[in-house]
Amino acid sequence: MFADVMRGLRRNITMTIAMILTTAISLTLLGAGLIVARMTDQMQQTYANKIEVTIYLTKDVSTQDPNCQEKVCQSLGEALSGDTDLVKRATYQSQSQAWEQYQQMFAGQPEMLDIAKPTDLQSSWHVKLIDPQKYKVLAARYGHFAGVDSVVDQSQTLDRLFKVLNGIRNATIIVALVQALAALLLIANTVQVAAYTRRTETSIMRLVGASRWRTQLPFIMEAVVAAVIGALVSIVGLVAMKYLFVDKTLGSIMNAGILPPIDATYLVWVAPWLGGIAVGLAAVASYVTLRLYVRL
Amino acid sequence: MIHLSHVSKQYKASTRPALSDVSLDVEKGEFAFVIGPSGSGKTTFMRLLLREEIATSGTVQVAGKDLSKLRRAKVAWHRRRLGCVFQDFRLLNNKTVAQNVGFALEVTGQARNKIKRVVPEVLQLVGLDGKANRMPRELSGGEQQRVAIARAFANRPLLLLADEPTGNLDPDTSQEIMLLLERINRTGTTVLMSTHDNTIVDAMRRRVIELHLGKLVRDEDHGVYGLGR
Repeated sequence: MFADVMRGLRRNITMTIAMILTTAISLTLLGAGLIVARMTDQMQQTYANKIEVTIYLTKDVSTQDPNCQEKVCQSLGEALSGDTDLVKRATYQSQSQAWEQYQQMFAGQPEMLDIAKPTDLQSSWHVKLIDPQKYKVLAARYGHFAGVDSVVDQSQTLDRLFKVLNGIRNATIIVALVQALAALLLIANTVQVAAYTRRTETSIMRLVGASRWRTQLPFIMEAVVAAVIGALVSIVGLVAMKYLFVDKTLGSIMNAGILPPIDATYLVWVAPWLGGIAVGLAAVASYVTLRLYVRL
Repeated sequence: MIHLSHVSKQYKASTRPALSDVSLDVEKGEFAFVIGPSGSGKTTFMRLLLREEIATSGTVQVAGKDLSKLRRAKVAWHRRRLGCVFQDFRLLNNKTVAQNVGFALEVTGQARNKIKRVVPEVLQLVGLDGKANRMPRELSGGEQQRVAIARAFANRPLLLLADEPTGNLDPDTSQEIMLLLERINRTGTTVLMSTHDNTIVDAMRRRVIELHLGKLVRDEDHGVYGLGR
Protein backbone atom coordinates (compact mmCIF):
# COMPACT_ATOMS: atom_id res chain seq x y z
CA MET A 1 0.00 0.00 0.00
CA PHE A 2 2.91 2.33 0.72
CA ALA A 3 3.91 2.25 -2.97
CA ASP A 4 0.34 3.22 -3.87
CA VAL A 5 0.48 6.08 -1.36
CA MET A 6 3.72 7.42 -2.85
CA ARG A 7 2.28 7.06 -6.37
CA GLY A 8 -0.80 8.99 -5.24
CA LEU A 9 1.33 11.81 -3.85
CA ARG A 10 3.42 11.99 -7.04
CA ARG A 11 0.30 12.00 -9.24
CA ASN A 12 -0.91 15.16 -7.57
CA ILE A 13 2.51 16.69 -7.03
CA THR A 14 1.62 20.42 -7.08
CA MET A 15 -1.13 19.97 -4.51
CA THR A 16 1.16 17.75 -2.45
CA ILE A 17 3.87 20.44 -2.39
CA ALA A 18 1.30 23.10 -1.45
CA MET A 19 0.03 20.85 1.35
CA ILE A 20 3.55 20.20 2.65
CA LEU A 21 4.49 23.89 2.59
CA THR A 22 1.31 25.10 4.27
CA THR A 23 1.62 22.45 6.95
CA ALA A 24 5.31 23.27 7.42
CA ILE A 25 4.68 27.03 7.83
CA SER A 26 1.82 26.41 10.23
CA LEU A 27 3.87 24.01 12.33
CA THR A 28 6.95 26.26 12.31
CA LEU A 29 4.88 29.11 13.72
CA LEU A 30 3.25 26.80 16.23
CA GLY A 31 6.66 25.42 17.21
CA ALA A 32 8.03 28.96 17.63
CA GLY A 33 5.00 29.84 19.78
CA LEU A 34 5.53 26.77 21.96
CA ILE A 35 9.23 27.57 22.34
CA VAL A 36 8.47 31.19 23.37
CA ALA A 37 5.90 29.87 25.86
CA ARG A 38 8.46 27.53 27.32
CA MET A 39 11.06 30.28 27.47
CA THR A 40 8.62 32.50 29.35
CA ASP A 41 7.86 29.73 31.84
CA GLN A 42 11.54 29.13 32.40
CA MET A 43 12.21 32.84 32.84
CA GLN A 44 9.38 33.15 35.34
CA GLN A 45 10.78 30.25 37.35
CA THR A 46 14.33 31.63 37.19
CA TYR A 47 13.33 35.14 38.17
CA ALA A 48 10.82 34.10 40.84
CA ASN A 49 13.69 33.30 43.22
CA LYS A 50 15.59 36.45 42.41
CA ILE A 51 12.87 39.07 42.43
CA GLU A 52 13.25 41.68 45.12
CA VAL A 53 11.61 44.90 46.08
CA THR A 54 14.06 47.79 46.19
CA ILE A 55 13.57 50.67 48.61
CA TYR A 56 15.63 53.55 47.23
CA LEU A 57 16.85 56.14 49.66
CA THR A 58 16.90 59.82 48.74
CA LYS A 59 20.04 61.22 47.14
CA ASP A 60 20.79 63.26 50.24
CA VAL A 61 20.77 60.21 52.49
CA SER A 62 22.68 58.22 49.86
CA THR A 63 25.46 60.78 49.73
CA GLN A 64 25.60 61.84 53.41
CA ASP A 65 25.35 58.35 54.94
CA PRO A 66 27.16 56.01 52.55
CA ASN A 67 27.58 53.19 55.08
CA CYS A 68 24.12 53.34 56.69
CA GLN A 69 25.29 54.38 60.13
CA GLU A 70 22.93 57.26 60.81
CA LYS A 71 19.47 57.23 62.26
CA VAL A 72 17.31 57.45 59.13
CA CYS A 73 18.93 54.51 57.36
CA GLN A 74 19.46 52.50 60.55
CA SER A 75 15.84 52.79 61.69
CA LEU A 76 14.61 51.72 58.27
CA GLY A 77 16.91 48.70 58.41
CA GLU A 78 15.72 47.81 61.92
CA ALA A 79 12.08 48.17 60.92
CA LEU A 80 12.61 45.87 57.95
CA SER A 81 14.46 43.28 60.04
CA GLY A 82 11.69 43.32 62.62
CA ASP A 83 8.94 42.95 60.02
CA THR A 84 9.05 39.16 60.09
CA ASP A 85 5.55 38.58 58.73
CA LEU A 86 6.41 40.36 55.49
CA VAL A 87 10.18 40.46 55.02
CA LYS A 88 12.29 37.40 54.49
CA ARG A 89 15.60 39.22 54.09
CA ALA A 90 16.75 42.82 53.75
CA THR A 91 20.17 43.76 52.41
CA TYR A 92 21.68 47.22 52.24
CA GLN A 93 23.42 48.37 49.05
CA SER A 94 25.45 51.54 49.26
CA GLN A 95 25.93 54.10 46.51
CA SER A 96 29.43 52.79 45.80
CA GLN A 97 28.21 49.18 45.65
CA ALA A 98 25.47 50.29 43.24
CA TRP A 99 28.09 51.96 41.09
CA GLU A 100 30.21 48.80 41.04
CA GLN A 101 27.20 46.81 39.94
CA TYR A 102 26.42 49.38 37.26
CA GLN A 103 29.97 49.19 35.97
CA GLN A 104 29.81 45.41 35.80
CA MET A 105 26.45 45.45 34.05
CA PHE A 106 27.57 47.83 31.34
CA ALA A 107 31.20 46.77 31.12
CA GLY A 108 30.94 46.32 27.37
CA GLN A 109 29.13 49.58 26.75
CA PRO A 110 31.44 52.56 27.49
CA GLU A 111 28.78 55.08 26.41
CA MET A 112 26.57 53.91 29.31
CA LEU A 113 29.46 54.40 31.72
CA ASP A 114 30.09 57.88 30.35
CA ILE A 115 26.57 59.17 30.93
CA ALA A 116 26.48 58.25 34.63
CA LYS A 117 28.58 59.00 37.71
CA PRO A 118 28.52 57.39 41.18
CA THR A 119 26.51 60.18 42.76
CA ASP A 120 23.68 59.67 40.26
CA LEU A 121 22.93 56.35 41.86
CA GLN A 122 21.05 55.85 45.11
CA SER A 123 21.76 53.59 48.01
CA SER A 124 18.98 51.16 48.72
CA TRP A 125 17.55 48.33 50.77
CA HIS A 126 16.94 45.15 48.76
CA VAL A 127 14.02 43.35 50.31
CA LYS A 128 13.14 39.74 49.64
CA LEU A 129 9.50 39.25 50.50
CA ILE A 130 8.08 36.10 52.10
CA ASP A 131 5.14 36.42 49.71
CA PRO A 132 6.18 38.29 46.51
CA GLN A 133 2.53 39.20 45.91
CA LYS A 134 2.56 41.50 48.98
CA TYR A 135 4.60 44.19 47.31
CA LYS A 136 1.83 46.78 47.82
CA VAL A 137 1.70 46.17 51.57
CA LEU A 138 5.44 46.81 51.77
CA ALA A 139 5.17 49.92 49.58
CA ALA A 140 2.36 51.30 51.77
CA ARG A 141 4.24 50.53 54.98
CA TYR A 142 7.65 51.94 54.01
CA GLY A 143 6.92 54.37 51.16
CA HIS A 144 6.46 57.29 53.56
CA PHE A 145 9.40 56.48 55.85
CA ALA A 146 11.84 59.30 56.35
CA GLY A 147 14.68 59.15 53.80
CA VAL A 148 12.79 56.85 51.39
CA ASP A 149 12.67 58.06 47.82
CA SER A 150 10.73 55.28 46.15
CA VAL A 151 9.76 51.62 46.42
CA VAL A 152 10.24 49.65 43.21
CA ASP A 153 9.04 46.14 42.60
CA GLN A 154 11.26 44.33 40.09
CA SER A 155 8.47 41.95 39.28
CA GLN A 156 6.51 44.84 37.72
CA THR A 157 9.37 45.51 35.33
CA LEU A 158 9.59 41.79 34.57
CA ASP A 159 5.85 41.59 34.11
CA ARG A 160 6.21 44.03 31.24
CA LEU A 161 8.85 41.79 29.65
CA PHE A 162 6.64 38.75 30.18
CA LYS A 163 3.71 40.60 28.64
CA VAL A 164 5.81 41.27 25.54
CA LEU A 165 6.89 37.62 25.37
CA ASN A 166 3.33 36.38 25.94
CA GLY A 167 2.14 38.76 23.23
CA ILE A 168 4.71 37.32 20.81
CA ARG A 169 3.65 33.81 21.80
CA ASN A 170 -0.07 34.56 21.37
CA ALA A 171 0.41 36.33 18.04
CA THR A 172 2.54 33.45 16.74
CA ILE A 173 0.01 30.86 17.85
CA ILE A 174 -2.92 32.82 16.34
CA VAL A 175 -1.12 33.10 12.98
CA ALA A 176 -0.24 29.39 13.30
CA LEU A 177 -3.91 28.53 13.86
CA VAL A 178 -5.03 30.57 10.83
CA GLN A 179 -2.35 28.86 8.79
CA ALA A 180 -3.44 25.49 10.22
CA LEU A 181 -6.97 26.24 9.01
CA ALA A 182 -5.55 26.88 5.54
CA ALA A 183 -3.63 23.60 5.79
CA LEU A 184 -6.81 21.76 6.83
CA LEU A 185 -8.79 23.16 3.90
CA LEU A 186 -5.97 22.28 1.55
CA ILE A 187 -5.84 18.72 2.91
CA ALA A 188 -9.62 18.43 2.45
CA ASN A 189 -9.38 19.73 -1.10
CA THR A 190 -6.43 17.50 -1.98
CA VAL A 191 -8.23 14.43 -0.64
CA GLN A 192 -11.32 15.27 -2.70
CA VAL A 193 -9.25 15.75 -5.86
CA ALA A 194 -7.36 12.52 -5.19
CA ALA A 195 -10.60 10.61 -4.60
CA TYR A 196 -12.06 12.00 -7.83
CA THR A 197 -8.93 11.14 -9.81
CA ARG A 198 -9.06 7.59 -8.51
CA ARG A 199 -12.82 7.08 -8.68
CA THR A 200 -12.42 3.98 -10.90
CA GLU A 201 -10.12 2.41 -8.34
CA THR A 202 -12.39 3.21 -5.42
CA SER A 203 -15.52 2.08 -7.28
CA ILE A 204 -13.83 -1.28 -7.97
CA MET A 205 -12.79 -1.52 -4.33
CA ARG A 206 -16.36 -0.88 -3.26
CA LEU A 207 -17.78 -3.43 -5.69
CA VAL A 208 -15.40 -6.23 -4.78
CA GLY A 209 -16.24 -5.75 -1.12
CA ALA A 210 -13.28 -3.84 0.29
CA SER A 211 -14.19 -2.44 3.69
CA ARG A 212 -14.79 1.27 3.94
CA TRP A 213 -11.72 1.55 6.13
CA ARG A 214 -9.55 -0.19 3.51
CA THR A 215 -10.90 2.11 0.79
CA GLN A 216 -10.26 5.25 2.82
CA LEU A 217 -6.88 4.29 4.23
CA PRO A 218 -4.72 5.15 1.15
CA PHE A 219 -6.14 8.70 1.06
CA ILE A 220 -5.66 9.18 4.80
CA MET A 221 -2.13 7.78 4.53
CA GLU A 222 -1.32 10.21 1.72
CA ALA A 223 -2.44 13.17 3.82
CA VAL A 224 -0.53 11.85 6.83
CA VAL A 225 2.68 11.25 4.84
CA ALA A 226 2.48 14.79 3.38
CA ALA A 227 1.88 16.20 6.88
CA VAL A 228 4.83 14.25 8.32
CA ILE A 229 7.06 15.66 5.56
CA GLY A 230 5.65 19.10 6.43
CA ALA A 231 6.48 18.50 10.10
CA LEU A 232 10.05 17.47 9.20
CA VAL A 233 10.46 20.62 7.09
CA SER A 234 9.17 22.72 10.00
CA ILE A 235 11.59 21.07 12.45
CA VAL A 236 14.48 21.70 10.05
CA GLY A 237 13.20 25.30 9.76
CA LEU A 238 13.17 25.74 13.54
CA VAL A 239 16.69 24.31 13.86
CA ALA A 240 17.88 26.66 11.11
CA MET A 241 16.15 29.62 12.79
CA LYS A 242 17.87 28.80 16.08
CA TYR A 243 21.38 28.46 14.70
CA LEU A 244 21.27 30.98 11.85
CA PHE A 245 19.09 33.72 13.36
CA VAL A 246 18.30 33.54 17.08
CA ASP A 247 21.76 32.52 18.30
CA LYS A 248 23.40 35.22 16.18
CA THR A 249 21.09 38.14 16.87
CA LEU A 250 20.05 37.45 20.48
CA GLY A 251 23.18 35.56 21.56
CA SER A 252 24.60 38.41 23.69
CA ILE A 253 21.30 38.91 25.57
CA MET A 254 21.09 35.19 26.19
CA ASN A 255 24.70 34.98 27.32
CA ALA A 256 24.05 37.83 29.78
CA GLY A 257 21.27 35.71 31.28
CA ILE A 258 18.48 38.17 30.48
CA LEU A 259 16.76 35.72 28.13
CA PRO A 260 17.20 31.98 28.63
CA PRO A 261 19.12 30.44 25.72
CA ILE A 262 17.15 28.22 23.33
CA ASP A 263 19.12 25.03 23.67
CA ALA A 264 18.71 21.85 21.66
CA THR A 265 16.45 20.32 24.33
CA TYR A 266 13.75 22.87 23.40
CA LEU A 267 13.80 21.58 19.84
CA VAL A 268 13.86 17.97 20.99
CA TRP A 269 10.87 18.77 23.21
CA VAL A 270 8.87 20.53 20.49
CA ALA A 271 9.59 18.11 17.60
CA PRO A 272 7.35 15.21 18.78
CA TRP A 273 4.54 17.67 19.45
CA LEU A 274 4.74 19.02 15.92
CA GLY A 275 4.90 15.51 14.46
CA GLY A 276 1.93 14.36 16.55
CA ILE A 277 -0.15 17.43 15.73
CA ALA A 278 0.64 17.05 12.01
CA VAL A 279 -0.37 13.38 11.96
CA GLY A 280 -3.50 14.00 14.02
CA LEU A 281 -4.69 16.97 11.96
CA ALA A 282 -4.05 15.28 8.61
CA ALA A 283 -5.75 12.04 9.69
CA VAL A 284 -8.80 13.78 11.13
CA ALA A 285 -9.14 16.26 8.23
CA SER A 286 -8.88 13.57 5.56
CA TYR A 287 -11.16 11.14 7.42
CA VAL A 288 -13.86 13.78 7.94
CA THR A 289 -13.58 14.87 4.28
CA LEU A 290 -13.97 11.29 3.08
CA ARG A 291 -16.96 10.72 5.35
CA LEU A 292 -18.75 13.94 4.45
CA TYR A 293 -17.87 14.71 0.86
CA VAL A 294 -16.70 11.57 -0.90
CA ARG A 295 -18.76 8.46 -1.56
CA LEU A 296 -16.52 5.48 -0.98
CA MET B 1 -29.98 -17.51 -4.56
CA ILE B 2 -32.00 -14.38 -5.39
CA HIS B 3 -35.46 -13.68 -4.03
CA LEU B 4 -37.37 -10.52 -4.85
CA SER B 5 -40.80 -10.01 -3.35
CA HIS B 6 -42.95 -7.04 -4.48
CA VAL B 7 -39.90 -4.87 -4.94
CA SER B 8 -40.33 -1.24 -5.95
CA LYS B 9 -37.70 1.43 -6.24
CA GLN B 10 -38.57 5.09 -6.55
CA TYR B 11 -35.79 7.65 -7.08
CA LYS B 12 -36.47 11.05 -5.58
CA ALA B 13 -35.94 12.98 -8.81
CA SER B 14 -38.06 10.66 -10.96
CA THR B 15 -41.81 10.81 -11.55
CA ARG B 16 -42.26 7.06 -12.09
CA PRO B 17 -40.70 4.17 -10.20
CA ALA B 18 -37.55 2.60 -11.65
CA LEU B 19 -38.89 -0.77 -10.52
CA SER B 20 -42.52 -1.48 -9.70
CA ASP B 21 -43.77 -4.49 -7.75
CA VAL B 22 -41.22 -6.95 -9.10
CA SER B 23 -41.25 -10.47 -7.67
CA LEU B 24 -39.00 -13.29 -8.86
CA ASP B 25 -36.60 -16.02 -7.74
CA VAL B 26 -33.31 -17.12 -9.26
CA GLU B 27 -31.99 -20.48 -8.12
CA LYS B 28 -28.40 -21.32 -7.29
CA GLY B 29 -26.42 -22.21 -10.41
CA GLU B 30 -28.91 -20.65 -12.84
CA PHE B 31 -27.96 -18.53 -15.87
CA ALA B 32 -30.49 -15.80 -16.61
CA PHE B 33 -30.63 -12.84 -18.98
CA VAL B 34 -32.20 -9.56 -17.90
CA ILE B 35 -33.46 -7.73 -20.97
CA GLY B 36 -35.45 -4.63 -21.72
CA PRO B 37 -35.00 -1.23 -23.37
CA SER B 38 -33.02 1.60 -21.80
CA GLY B 39 -34.84 2.91 -18.74
CA SER B 40 -36.63 -0.39 -18.16
CA GLY B 41 -35.00 -0.89 -14.75
CA LYS B 42 -32.22 -3.40 -15.54
CA THR B 43 -29.46 -1.33 -13.95
CA THR B 44 -31.59 -0.56 -10.88
CA PHE B 45 -32.24 -4.31 -10.56
CA MET B 46 -28.48 -5.01 -10.61
CA ARG B 47 -27.76 -2.17 -8.18
CA LEU B 48 -30.33 -3.51 -5.71
CA LEU B 49 -28.62 -6.91 -5.78
CA LEU B 50 -25.25 -5.24 -5.19
CA ARG B 51 -26.77 -3.23 -2.37
CA GLU B 52 -25.74 -0.02 -4.10
CA GLU B 53 -29.40 0.95 -3.69
CA ILE B 54 -32.06 -0.08 -1.20
CA ALA B 55 -35.59 -0.97 -2.33
CA THR B 56 -38.25 1.61 -1.49
CA SER B 57 -40.59 -1.26 -0.67
CA GLY B 58 -40.54 -5.04 -0.86
CA THR B 59 -37.83 -7.55 0.02
CA VAL B 60 -34.54 -8.26 -1.78
CA GLN B 61 -32.73 -11.37 -0.59
CA VAL B 62 -29.40 -12.66 -1.89
CA ALA B 63 -28.06 -15.98 -0.57
CA GLY B 64 -30.61 -15.86 2.23
CA LYS B 65 -29.74 -12.35 3.43
CA ASP B 66 -32.32 -9.58 3.42
CA LEU B 67 -30.33 -6.70 1.92
CA SER B 68 -32.50 -3.93 3.36
CA LYS B 69 -31.61 -5.17 6.85
CA LEU B 70 -27.92 -5.46 6.13
CA ARG B 71 -25.90 -3.16 8.35
CA ARG B 72 -23.44 -0.85 6.64
CA ALA B 73 -20.43 -2.79 7.92
CA LYS B 74 -21.84 -6.02 6.47
CA VAL B 75 -22.35 -4.60 2.97
CA ALA B 76 -18.67 -5.19 2.12
CA TRP B 77 -19.04 -8.83 3.23
CA HIS B 78 -22.12 -9.20 1.03
CA ARG B 79 -20.25 -7.86 -2.01
CA ARG B 80 -17.40 -10.31 -1.49
CA ARG B 81 -19.83 -13.08 -2.41
CA LEU B 82 -20.68 -11.32 -5.67
CA GLY B 83 -18.69 -10.64 -8.82
CA CYS B 84 -19.40 -7.77 -11.23
CA VAL B 85 -18.58 -7.25 -14.88
CA PHE B 86 -19.41 -4.08 -16.81
CA GLN B 87 -19.63 -2.93 -20.40
CA ASP B 88 -16.69 -0.54 -19.92
CA PHE B 89 -14.47 -3.22 -18.25
CA ARG B 90 -13.38 -0.82 -15.45
CA LEU B 91 -9.76 -1.93 -15.37
CA LEU B 92 -6.99 0.03 -13.70
CA ASN B 93 -4.77 1.21 -16.53
CA ASN B 94 -1.72 1.69 -14.32
CA LYS B 95 -1.73 -1.95 -13.22
CA THR B 96 -0.83 -5.09 -15.14
CA VAL B 97 -3.35 -7.81 -15.93
CA ALA B 98 -2.20 -9.86 -12.92
CA GLN B 99 -2.24 -6.81 -10.65
CA ASN B 100 -5.77 -5.94 -11.77
CA VAL B 101 -6.96 -9.40 -10.84
CA GLY B 102 -4.91 -9.48 -7.65
CA PHE B 103 -6.26 -6.05 -6.66
CA ALA B 104 -9.70 -7.49 -5.90
CA LEU B 105 -8.13 -10.06 -3.60
CA GLU B 106 -5.65 -7.68 -2.04
CA VAL B 107 -8.20 -5.03 -1.03
CA THR B 108 -10.41 -7.66 0.56
CA GLY B 109 -7.52 -8.70 2.77
CA GLN B 110 -6.51 -11.99 1.15
CA ALA B 111 -3.09 -13.36 2.04
CA ARG B 112 -0.25 -12.70 -0.40
CA ASN B 113 0.37 -16.42 -0.87
CA LYS B 114 -3.25 -16.98 -1.80
CA ILE B 115 -3.13 -14.10 -4.31
CA LYS B 116 0.02 -15.55 -5.89
CA ARG B 117 -1.70 -18.90 -6.27
CA VAL B 118 -5.17 -17.76 -7.34
CA VAL B 119 -4.28 -15.11 -9.94
CA PRO B 120 -2.53 -17.48 -12.43
CA GLU B 121 -5.32 -20.03 -11.96
CA VAL B 122 -8.03 -17.52 -12.81
CA LEU B 123 -6.06 -16.07 -15.71
CA GLN B 124 -5.71 -19.58 -17.10
CA LEU B 125 -9.45 -20.14 -16.71
CA VAL B 126 -10.23 -17.03 -18.80
CA GLY B 127 -7.56 -17.87 -21.38
CA LEU B 128 -5.06 -15.13 -20.51
CA ASP B 129 -2.31 -17.25 -18.95
CA GLY B 130 0.43 -15.75 -21.12
CA LYS B 131 -0.58 -12.16 -20.59
CA ALA B 132 -0.22 -11.65 -16.86
CA ASN B 133 2.32 -8.85 -17.21
CA ARG B 134 0.62 -6.94 -20.00
CA MET B 135 -0.97 -3.55 -19.37
CA PRO B 136 -4.70 -3.23 -20.18
CA ARG B 137 -4.05 -0.80 -23.05
CA GLU B 138 -1.99 -3.50 -24.77
CA LEU B 139 -5.01 -5.82 -24.90
CA SER B 140 -8.00 -6.05 -27.24
CA GLY B 141 -11.51 -5.26 -25.98
CA GLY B 142 -12.32 -8.94 -25.63
CA GLU B 143 -9.13 -9.58 -23.68
CA GLN B 144 -9.85 -6.64 -21.40
CA GLN B 145 -13.29 -8.03 -20.68
CA ARG B 146 -11.67 -11.39 -19.87
CA VAL B 147 -9.46 -9.63 -17.33
CA ALA B 148 -12.57 -8.03 -15.81
CA ILE B 149 -14.25 -11.45 -15.64
CA ALA B 150 -11.13 -12.95 -14.07
CA ARG B 151 -11.19 -10.21 -11.45
CA ALA B 152 -14.89 -10.80 -10.78
CA PHE B 153 -14.34 -14.54 -10.49
CA ALA B 154 -11.15 -14.43 -8.42
CA ASN B 155 -13.13 -14.45 -5.16
CA ARG B 156 -15.16 -17.47 -6.40
CA PRO B 157 -18.44 -15.57 -6.06
CA LEU B 158 -21.81 -17.22 -5.54
CA LEU B 159 -23.36 -14.80 -8.00
CA LEU B 160 -21.85 -13.07 -11.04
CA LEU B 161 -23.62 -9.91 -12.20
CA ALA B 162 -22.76 -8.94 -15.76
CA ASP B 163 -24.10 -5.57 -16.88
CA GLU B 164 -24.05 -5.61 -20.70
CA PRO B 165 -20.62 -7.27 -20.80
CA THR B 166 -20.66 -7.62 -24.60
CA GLY B 167 -21.97 -4.11 -25.28
CA ASN B 168 -18.59 -2.86 -26.54
CA LEU B 169 -17.51 -6.02 -28.36
CA ASP B 170 -17.86 -7.38 -31.91
CA PRO B 171 -20.06 -10.48 -32.44
CA ASP B 172 -17.20 -13.01 -32.53
CA THR B 173 -15.61 -11.63 -29.38
CA SER B 174 -19.04 -11.45 -27.71
CA GLN B 175 -19.47 -15.14 -28.49
CA GLU B 176 -16.14 -15.93 -26.80
CA ILE B 177 -17.16 -13.95 -23.72
CA MET B 178 -20.47 -15.82 -23.57
CA LEU B 179 -18.63 -19.14 -23.71
CA LEU B 180 -16.50 -17.96 -20.83
CA LEU B 181 -19.53 -16.93 -18.77
CA GLU B 182 -21.11 -20.32 -19.48
CA ARG B 183 -17.95 -21.98 -18.29
CA ILE B 184 -18.05 -19.98 -15.08
CA ASN B 185 -21.74 -20.87 -14.67
CA ARG B 186 -20.81 -24.56 -14.94
CA THR B 187 -18.59 -24.19 -11.86
CA GLY B 188 -21.80 -23.54 -9.89
CA THR B 189 -21.75 -19.75 -9.95
CA THR B 190 -25.15 -18.18 -10.63
CA VAL B 191 -24.88 -15.73 -13.57
CA LEU B 192 -27.24 -12.85 -14.15
CA MET B 193 -26.53 -10.88 -17.31
CA SER B 194 -28.29 -7.79 -18.60
CA THR B 195 -28.06 -7.30 -22.35
CA HIS B 196 -29.48 -5.72 -25.48
CA ASP B 197 -27.85 -8.36 -27.71
CA ASN B 198 -30.70 -10.40 -29.21
CA THR B 199 -28.31 -12.71 -31.11
CA ILE B 200 -26.75 -13.91 -27.89
CA VAL B 201 -30.05 -14.36 -26.05
CA ASP B 202 -31.58 -16.18 -28.98
CA ALA B 203 -28.57 -18.43 -29.41
CA MET B 204 -28.22 -19.40 -25.76
CA ARG B 205 -31.90 -20.15 -25.01
CA ARG B 206 -31.57 -19.55 -21.30
CA ARG B 207 -33.99 -18.02 -18.82
CA VAL B 208 -35.10 -14.53 -19.89
CA ILE B 209 -36.33 -11.91 -17.40
CA GLU B 210 -37.79 -8.97 -19.29
CA LEU B 211 -38.44 -5.60 -17.72
CA HIS B 212 -40.37 -2.74 -19.26
CA LEU B 213 -40.88 0.65 -17.59
CA GLY B 214 -39.89 -0.92 -14.28
CA LYS B 215 -42.34 -3.81 -14.49
CA LEU B 216 -41.58 -7.49 -14.92
CA VAL B 217 -43.31 -8.29 -18.21
CA ARG B 218 -41.84 -11.71 -18.95
CA ASP B 219 -40.02 -14.44 -17.04
CA GLU B 220 -39.45 -17.38 -19.35
CA ASP B 221 -37.20 -20.43 -19.24
CA HIS B 222 -35.29 -21.10 -22.48
CA GLY B 223 -36.55 -17.78 -23.83
CA VAL B 224 -35.57 -15.67 -26.80
CA TYR B 225 -35.12 -11.91 -27.06
CA GLY B 226 -38.10 -10.86 -29.19
CA LEU B 227 -41.12 -12.37 -27.49
CA GLY B 228 -43.30 -10.45 -25.07
CA ARG B 229 -42.29 -6.99 -26.24
